[in-house]
Amino acid sequence: MAPTSTSELLAARVRLPQHVVHRSFVAETVVLNLRTGRYHGLNPTAGRMLEALAAAPTAGAAVPELAREYGVEAAKVEGDLFALCQGLLERGLIEMVDADPA
Amino acid sequence: MQIQPEAPAGSARERAARSTAFGLSLEVDPGIEIPGIPDAPGVCDLGIPAPGRPVSALASQPPTRVRLDPQELERRWSSAEHTPGRVRELRDGETVLLSVELAPPAGYLLHAPGFGRILIAPDGTELICDPEPGSSQWSALLPAQALPLAATLQGLEVLHASGVVLGGRAALFAGPPGAGKSSLAAALLRRGAPLLSDDTVALELRDGALIAHPGAALLQLQAAEHERLSARERAVLGAAEAFLSKQRYSPSVTASPAPFGELFLLERSTHGPPVERIEAVDPFALLASTFNLSVRTPERLVRHLDLAVALAATERIYRLRVQPGMDATRLAEIVHERLPEL
Repeated sequence: MAPTSTSELLAARVRLPQHVVHRSFVAETVVLNLRTGRYHGLNPTAGRMLEALAAAPTAGAAVPELAREYGVEAAKVEGDLFALCQGLLERGLIEMVDADPA
Repeated sequence: MQIQPEAPAGSARERAARSTAFGLSLEVDPGIEIPGIPDAPGVCDLGIPAPGRPVSALASQPPTRVRLDPQELERRWSSAEHTPGRVRELRDGETVLLSVELAPPAGYLLHAPGFGRILIAPDGTELICDPEPGSSQWSALLPAQALPLAATLQGLEVLHASGVVLGGRAALFAGPPGAGKSSLAAALLRRGAPLLSDDTVALELRDGALIAHPGAALLQLQAAEHERLSARERAVLGAAEAFLSKQRYSPSVTASPAPFGELFLLERSTHGPPVERIEAVDPFALLASTFNLSVRTPERLVRHLDLAVALAATERIYRLRVQPGMDATRLAEIVHERLPEL
């Protein structure tokens, strides 16, 4: 499932599939797709976003913390998350599922 | 750590030779002589003989058997359940120099035309050899390719690097072909450092610690580098013989397993300090320094990544700049001079 809009992404939960592992280095996060055997590099900001997304119950829930951390408007974070998630989804590095009913 | 293996059955003439290389305890059938890996009966050195040092997990594993059995190789390969898939190929123009094919459950078939074939079991514990008729140097395939692949299958990571032991720790040198890894190792050998390995260094990640295991006691230099050396310098490197386009030395002073010390990434450069610690190492540079591109199982891919993490976490990765006019002897001096302060 790929988000068609930012609002759709923000309402969903983002998680790493079982075939994806990631490791953090000083200036880069490496994401490994075990199905394809390909490594992907994320800059520190994208790596932090992935970490926040994976820990949050919905993508939207990760926004306030990231906005505070980077000192930017929430709308800017939302746009960046949307672009990042589209790229990661295309490469099979994340999956979007319906948020757990709270 | 030294292990006393059980006495092998049969007469002395028939017994398998025991030795260690690339972190593997080897049991080699009579009739096979592996260059640079001499028979060491009764002793398998897979640990580090110092208090508080990590001991290799491989010490408790059964030996890796190296057999000469072309019929068995053919039987297993032809009865593989899957169509072989080519997982690696090394070419010189149109000529295939080396190929590796995978067909479970038979394993990995390594084929080097002019040398022979070696079938490596999927768990890396058995290597079945089929030398090409008339090839006197076929067994060079074992230390050059087959044993590093078997080590990877048994849980080690093999770096495309040369290494020596300096101050009790492994100093490794990686870089692109022609960067001078072997020449630098040779220069350090001439200064008394035991050789760990040339071209391929097996690393074991154990309880967060990295152990470097010796490979074959061989060192290959380009003909031009060989020509530059004096007779005395050559003598320090051991017996020499022509091998392909290079000179192959058999140094007599070789190392035992050693804890990781430093990784130097060699690069040609015209400016900057000769030695510089890399603050934020490029993980892809570490991943690309692997020797093994054939084993793509999920377990191995994760291990490969974890080894890169462990190497980066040491914060002991350095850029070693080879500047114009700087030969291997000068580079070795620099490494020696700078090592105490690194």
